Amino acid sequence: MNIDVIIIGCIAVLSALYALFNIFGVIGAGCGIALIIMYAILLKVSPKKPQEKSLFQNIKFKLPVILVLAGIIWVVAGKFNFPVWWQIEFVSFALVGFLFFTLLDWKTLTVEKKASTWVMRLLATYALASGIFITVTAQLPQFDPEFELAKLNKPPLKIGGDAAGPEVIAAGREVFENNKCFNCHKVFWEGNSDRGPNLGTKQIGLYSSDYIKEQILEPRKKQSPGFDDPKSVKAMPTYYGDDLSDDELTALVAYLKTMRDPTHMPVEGKLGSQWTWWDDPKIIEEGKVVFEGLEPNTEGLNCAVCHGKDGIPMMTGALDFRNENNPDTDKMPDRLDGVPLKDWPDALWYKRVTRGVDNTPMAPWGMIFEHLYLWKAEAYARTFHDPLDKRTAKRPVPPVPTKEEIEKWKTDGLFLDPLL
Amino acid sequence: MSQDSSKNTFVKTILCLMLVYLLGHVSPFLPVSSNSVFSNLSLQSLAYAEEDDEDEEDEDEEEEDGGGEEGSEEGAEEGGEEGSEEEDLSYLYDIGPAKEHEFEEFSFLGLSNRKFTWAAAQLHILFASFILGCPMFVVIMEVMGARRTQGVRRAIILSNVFLGVLIGVVIGITGEIIVGIHHGVLYGMWACSIGALFVSFLNYFHRLMSLRASALVGAIAGSVMAMALTPVEHYETSGIILAIINGAVGGVLSNGIMFAKSDYKFERLSHEITKVIGICYSFTALSGGLFLFVMLVAYKDFITYLIQSFPVLFMVAYPTLFILETIVMYVYVYSWDPLNKANKKGRHIVTGVILNILGLSLLVALDGPATFMQTPPKPYDELMNIGEWAKIANAAWMPLNYHRLVGNGTFGGYMVCIIGAYMYLWSSKKEEREYYDWVGYIGNLIGVAIMIPLPAMGYIFVREIYQYDATIGMYIMSDRESMFMLVQGLLVGTMFSASNIYMWVSMKRIENAERFFPAMKFGFVLIVLAATIWFTPRRFFATMMPEPGMNADMVLPDNLAFLALMVSKNTAAFCLVTVTFINYIFYTIATKTGKVAYGKINPLGPYVLIFLGFADIWLMSWMGTIRELSRMNWHVYKIYKDVSPEKFAPTLAESGFHVTTIVWTFFILMTAIIWIGIKYPKTKKKDAETPAAAPQMAE
Repeated sequence: MNIDVIIIGCIAVLSALYALFNIFGVIGAGCGIALIIMYAILLKVSPKKPQEKSLFQNIKFKLPVILVLAGIIWVVAGKFNFPVWWQIEFVSFALVGFLFFTLLDWKTLTVEKKASTWVMRLLATYALASGIFITVTAQLPQFDPEFELAKLNKPPLKIGGDAAGPEVIAAGREVFENNKCFNCHKVFWEGNSDRGPNLGTKQIGLYSSDYIKEQILEPRKKQSPGFDDPKSVKAMPTYYGDDLSDDELTALVAYLKTMRDPTHMPVEGKLGSQWTWWDDPKIIEEGKVVFEGLEPNTEGLNCAVCHGKDGIPMMTGALDFRNENNPDTDKMPDRLDGVPLKDWPDALWYKRVTRGVDNTPMAPWGMIFEHLYLWKAEAYARTFHDPLDKRTAKRPVPPVPTKEEIEKWKTDGLFLDPLL
Repeated sequence: MSQDSSKNTFVKTILCLMLVYLLGHVSPFLPVSSNSVFSNLSLQSLAYAEEDDEDEEDEDEEEEDGGGEEGSEEGAEEGGEEGSEEEDLSYLYDIGPAKEHEFEEFSFLGLSNRKFTWAAAQLHILFASFILGCPMFVVIMEVMGARRTQGVRRAIILSNVFLGVLIGVVIGITGEIIVGIHHGVLYGMWACSIGALFVSFLNYFHRLMSLRASALVGAIAGSVMAMALTPVEHYETSGIILAIINGAVGGVLSNGIMFAKSDYKFERLSHEITKVIGICYSFTALSGGLFLFVMLVAYKDFITYLIQSFPVLFMVAYPTLFILETIVMYVYVYSWDPLNKANKKGRHIVTGVILNILGLSLLVALDGPATFMQTPPKPYDELMNIGEWAKIANAAWMPLNYHRLVGNGTFGGYMVCIIGAYMYLWSSKKEEREYYDWVGYIGNLIGVAIMIPLPAMGYIFVREIYQYDATIGMYIMSDRESMFMLVQGLLVGTMFSASNIYMWVSMKRIENAERFFPAMKFGFVLIVLAATIWFTPRRFFATMMPEPGMNADMVLPDNLAFLALMVSKNTAAFCLVTVTFINYIFYTIATKTGKVAYGKINPLGPYVLIFLGFADIWLMSWMGTIRELSRMNWHVYKIYKDVSPEKFAPTLAESGFHVTTIVWTFFILMTAIIWIGIKYPKTKKKDAETPAAAPQMAE
């Protein structure tokens, strides 16, 4: 073989492998090598002169094979929990493959003797192409234009009166949907994309309205923890300041303020490498400031007064955070028996701090202070019996609350805010 | 001699007349010549700025007049008195009863404002693509078919540089996308074209005959100049490698073309396609006129706004380019035989290159308003104060230029396939069939080769749109147009499959080609797998949130969602492209090492080519539809709202049917054009030859 062909071939193969490695890593390069080997083996095979087959001969062997294959694909796809539409899709493509290979092995067509033959064949070609495209576009699921039209014809949002009432929250939800926020953000169980943080489990509603507004209007200013890679930094559009009216922004913030979870610590980071505030050194540091009464936003709150700056209780009856086996208080009717402090569910921490303990100096701090700071203080309080530097593993990230659970928070009155 | 002198006199007379004409027409403008040409570029902006000022003044007056009913009445009275004193000049601008006329929505045979515009625009773009895509093809073919005379060799220097620019841009952009090379396009363009220029010059003087040496010289010259001309702060290895590769490609191509053995088949092919181009040119103008008339009725306010936004472009640049292109195109078409007879083929090739440059300039110029509608420059408040050039050179302009350049090249290749297939079917002579079988082969070869980098071009276009405003990108990928994109995936899969089937069918008529068949069959399995993954959506309704009437369960579970992510789509695309490329190499090796029995292709072949061409044109129309609809309810995104009743995205079914109708119309017209342009003259010639042939036989 010509030396130039060999050199060019080697360069092409190496470039392809480099590109595969660059895009898909070792697996990509590995697959590339496997394919090259497969091709090399197949090129060494000396095939017989291909025999042309009639349509019947052609499908006699292929049809049973493809039917078996389609059955296997259907079952395997089902086992992997592919929804039925995807099972149909895979089987359809298997049938396309069948048509493909039938066509490849089909005997040579007879040469057109009469003009009518090629006219018919030509029309059949056009009919086939048009038929495929018209059928495919007609049979795939269709969007209803009326829905878009209704949205486009809707008058612009105007907020009158209460800036955080249920109507405003509902309007905010609509702003969230219309601006395609679901494209990157999940809200608890809703949505499919993990490009940005799940605003529900992150509990964006814990933050102040001004902070949330800033995050919408100037998203590059402060990146959500775990989303500081170059791609994520550029992901959030910066044009919402131009796109959203003041009323829309107010409604959107009102909706975002509802995103809180009274049963779990906030969760940070990208899916696959997430953590809770329990294990967040920065949050724990900020929690210490709150716990020791030094946080300006929680002026009047000082946990150390009773629980002790170093965890040694200063007041009789105050919970000793150093003892990981301490039980829940017996002064509350909803007490959780038999669960030591180290295993307390997040919901219990939250409840005891936000609602307080009856007939003790432990006041319902949740009625007075922003819950953002209370969660932080709790994250710090845990370190007395479970120091951060001695932890061998992070606490598991809780499962995303379901629709039913969220409904239950409202009916059980877990939120202090009546709007929620 | 006397004839020559009379010709010279005639030329001089014409030149004098033109000079007098120009002087006579330029002189009235001389007093304003202190304003440079460029300062007039923002003519329209100034006009709007003045209007804005007037509006502000009006508002100020209203504010001053405001302050209670009494104030208003006083103001009205004062105004009334002033008005009575002023001379009534309303007759100067009152257009009469017609001023109350309002345009209404209309419908004819089920076609509405939008569908009429859609059809006219689409037809115009298809014909325009033909007259832009095919000349690229034609000039290269003409060069391949021309005897290497001194003049032709000189012309080849120019055509090589032109080809170097095209190929450099394509390789450069692919490097920019896959490896992320900063300024990959510039590296590619400069290196390939300058490499081609250097090598062509040396080739011309017979200083550089070896292919390898040409590659080396091209690589060195191209990369050095590319590095000097590309504005980067610091050089990156990947960029330098890209420049070296492009320079080498330029060198190899130039050497190959300069010393290629001429083949008359190429000359005949390019000449025949040129005849079709001539007719298509008229149809481009006709459909363009139709488009403009339809717009003037259906969207009169918007078309006025758009044209007024680009005064220099539409009053000067576009007509100039159009007229020049028309002149050069007719010169190119009608000077073919005379210049051939006069042994001046080189001049004809140069004319062809100029025709292409003008065509590409026209394409690039009109991409300005097209992309302005999609990505008008920000900030929007300043839009009326910026110059015309800034409006043209908007965010999506260059990506669309690249995309259309490559898309038109592919289109040209597949149109040649269709012409070859039609002529094959319409020919009965053995030689003719052999020839048109070969035409189909060449068309497919070029079409597939140019189609391979096409997905990369589409990718950068959408990437730019995402960077400009993610809402548009999301509307395409995860809202009303998501299902359109799904169909696009299916179409791309169909096209790659059909191309590979054609290669398979045509390889069956090549001696000893069966050694590649097992590997090719393996490739077909990969194609089906890749097409399946490409088609697999995360959800059939990609709105993220189900809307009324949607089935919320039509979504892949989280653990299977990776199949719908970009990484999977890229793998599928990579696989489709690679398998096609490998088959293409097998095909090329087979044709080089085995005897091709032209004219004996399986009759299925021409129909596959026609199917392929139909799919390509359908896809092109479909992508145009997606691009237009992606502006949502805006004629100019965020600037000029579409308030007509048809401001929504039509359904997939409706769009599919309408696009099919448009493509059918195009094909009916093209069938007639191919018949009139190529087949009919042959028939006439044959008829004319028949009486003369009879006595010869008698002898």
